[in-house]
Amino acid sequence: MIGWEYPPHNSGGLGVACDGLTQSLAKSGTQIQFTLPYNFKSKVDHMTVLDCVDPSWLDEHGVLLENPPFLAYDQAIPQSAPNLKTDMGMDILRTLPQSELERKVYQYADRVTTEGTNQSPKYDVIHAHDWMAYPAGMKLKQKTGKPLITHVHSTEYDRSALHKGSDFITKTEYEGMVMADVVVAVSHYTKRLLVERYRIPASKIAVVHNGITPLVYPPDPGTHHFASERPVIVYMGRLTIQKGVQYFIHLAKTVLERNPEALFVVAGSGDMYHELLFTTAREQLSASVLFSGFVRGAQQEKLLDRADVFVMPSISEPFGLVALEAAQRHTPVVVSKNAGVSEVLPGSIAVDFWDIEKMGAVISHLINDRDHHKQTTHKQLSDLDSATWDNAARRMRAVYRSAVLGK
Amino acid sequence: MPQVCLYFHLHQPHRLSPITVFDVGNHPDYFDPVSSGDQEIFEKVALKSYRPMLGLLKKLLNKHPDFCVSLSISGVFLEQAQAFAPDVVALLQDLVKTERVEILAETYYHSLASLYSPSEFEAQVLKHIATIEELFEYTPRVFRNTELIYSNDIAALLSTFNFSGVLTEAVDRYLHGRPKTQLFASTTPDKIPLLLKHAQLSDDIAFRFSNKSWDWYPLYADRYLRWVEVYDQHEYVNLFMDFETFGEHQWADTGIFTFFEQFIADFLARDWNTLITPSQAFEPYAERRGGIKRTKSILEKRNELPIYDVPDPISWADVDRDITAWRDNDFQYDTLRIMYQIEDDIKATEDAQLLDQWRKLQISDHFYYMCTKWSADGDVHAYFSHYESPFEAYRRFSIALADLLGRLSALRKTTNGAQDRDRSIEWYSKIIGLQPVSTTPAR
Repeated sequence: MIGWEYPPHNSGGLGVACDGLTQSLAKSGTQIQFTLPYNFKSKVDHMTVLDCVDPSWLDEHGVLLENPPFLAYDQAIPQSAPNLKTDMGMDILRTLPQSELERKVYQYADRVTTEGTNQSPKYDVIHAHDWMAYPAGMKLKQKTGKPLITHVHSTEYDRSALHKGSDFITKTEYEGMVMADVVVAVSHYTKRLLVERYRIPASKIAVVHNGITPLVYPPDPGTHHFASERPVIVYMGRLTIQKGVQYFIHLAKTVLERNPEALFVVAGSGDMYHELLFTTAREQLSASVLFSGFVRGAQQEKLLDRADVFVMPSISEPFGLVALEAAQRHTPVVVSKNAGVSEVLPGSIAVDFWDIEKMGAVISHLINDRDHHKQTTHKQLSDLDSATWDNAARRMRAVYRSAVLGK
Repeated sequence: MPQVCLYFHLHQPHRLSPITVFDVGNHPDYFDPVSSGDQEIFEKVALKSYRPMLGLLKKLLNKHPDFCVSLSISGVFLEQAQAFAPDVVALLQDLVKTERVEILAETYYHSLASLYSPSEFEAQVLKHIATIEELFEYTPRVFRNTELIYSNDIAALLSTFNFSGVLTEAVDRYLHGRPKTQLFASTTPDKIPLLLKHAQLSDDIAFRFSNKSWDWYPLYADRYLRWVEVYDQHEYVNLFMDFETFGEHQWADTGIFTFFEQFIADFLARDWNTLITPSQAFEPYAERRGGIKRTKSILEKRNELPIYDVPDPISWADVDRDITAWRDNDFQYDTLRIMYQIEDDIKATEDAQLLDQWRKLQISDHFYYMCTKWSADGDVHAYFSHYESPFEAYRRFSIALADLLGRLSALRKTTNGAQDRDRSIEWYSKIIGLQPVSTTPAR
């Protein structure tokens, strides 16, 4: 399995998904060699972690110059253009690696190929997670002839909010999927996108929904955590255009017209942070929309426990694991129709992300009607019964089988 | 040969503790002296500036019978001094006893109330005067507003106080070529006398003194004296600056203390030079203490003064000498709007602690930290801020504000009994500036 991030060094859903999936796969007898582009210091016993670190990423003391995770999902800032030649046409130039990140992906591919070739008797299938791992997967497939599965957790179209993103990354994604024996999409929403935007044959794409790890300790839902006198509506995720977080601020304004005492919390960090702060002040929402910064662990749990409504207004969301986490903590979820998670959480309320009025009305209804709130919470909880990583692992093993047998 | 008026400003804000979203509604201490850094900063500045400079002033008062100085001391400074460095208060009391140190009146909370609320402004000025009277047995006669903020409207607010005069900044766009070294009068009917800061000569000490790329670095007392003595004996050279200039903005190793001591000695060594306090300058235009009704002759005298007509507020801050350091971007406008929108409700609770917290949130520094002007002034703002950015200043202030609104709402409910939902909604709508709509749940 070719990874890029793994808890505790994860920037978002990818690391969490890799954790949940590998745990359940291992439980059902799958042996996993998992590669990471950094020195993995935490202890895991369900799989073997292979550090695939290029020496150029280290300083003279052998310490990584940059801390993991290597923000594969943030806007990459072009820093250098290696191998630039004057006779290259625009069509070639546009597909060259533009950033340190993209170059790192290729160096990672080399390290994974070396390591993967050495370990080749130990595995039957190559499983690559998202575009950062595809070059490695393709190279390793060429070298070993083993079947390749490209697992699509997120695409460049999602990340650029259905606009045109980086040509280089789109091309890498396309090549990875073309060369794959099976493409795994995290939702039917994503499968549709892969067919429509990347022209990948639907017959080649299997849908394996993410699961969620059951809570070890029971949740502690309720208003006692903070702001107990006010309805609390939470956004949690990266502050990027893809996530539709800008709609959350406008949504706040709509809800406040009905529930002026409502408190909105934006949890996360990202390149839209400063813009969102300015929008909040300009819309005169300074005491109604608060920014918690990036939260993890106990704080993340507390926020979801406290939330009266959790909102995910994504413009394009392949899955959206955090919505399941909110559901686990007895919080009604209002989710964009362009989000895969609603497929496994039919009890949540799906609304078009751009329909601010409708979404605002839905939120107010949840706040003001306790019965509706309770019913939604219960429906979601029963949805979670089947949204397990064990189910995901079962489907994934079927994919492995077909990839090996299809060879 | 001029009359030099020295005035130094002592102030330390109450900084916000690192409160988080999770503290909202859980009675956070907005101004915990340890986690906010207040105590540490005060102790550091006391060591570097307050003690050595007050010591130096005491020495100069002993040595030169003609030496005098005026100070403005914010109420929130005095609170912190009493808590963290009571000896600084004792030193100040010693100085005031000499009767050659004048204390000026200002807003207790070093606030922007003058721009928003006449009633709150008056309350804070009276609270400050009461505090000064209690600690120093001294009644201020002259006023300086927060950061020397001044306008015709503010002069109108001051008319009710009967101050003998006001200090502010000399701003070229309102001087129309007239020398700033004379007394001016406000546009109000009572023609309040005004002394204007000499920015050039003040900033030579306050900002440029240790600047190695400045043409006149290093500045020695004799050269500075020559610059001051350019002016005539009927002119006022008003050197107004932060007290912390001495030892904190300019560290001891820049020679600032030696420079100041030498300058005073050289200046006073010449018979034709005089040091004055603002009250002395205003004396001919002031009625006597004890509240004798303002006589016609005083007003006639005041009428002879040239008018300083300031339609838009000015201050001593930043390149433009306006109020854009505190009110320029949306962060500042919106937080200030909410702050003063809740004034009546805060006061109606009659909850002393809530009132005090609200007033501490009015300290102008909170809004200064939110400033996003990044030109020559950006460096100055960054120097004075403990936040990593203006965004963080705004983010944290909003959290405090959200908590304050929650506390206020809860107290209103207790005071008004079981308040019906519609009234509570109406109130929140008013505060956040929205029109309430139907509360019927939508489908």
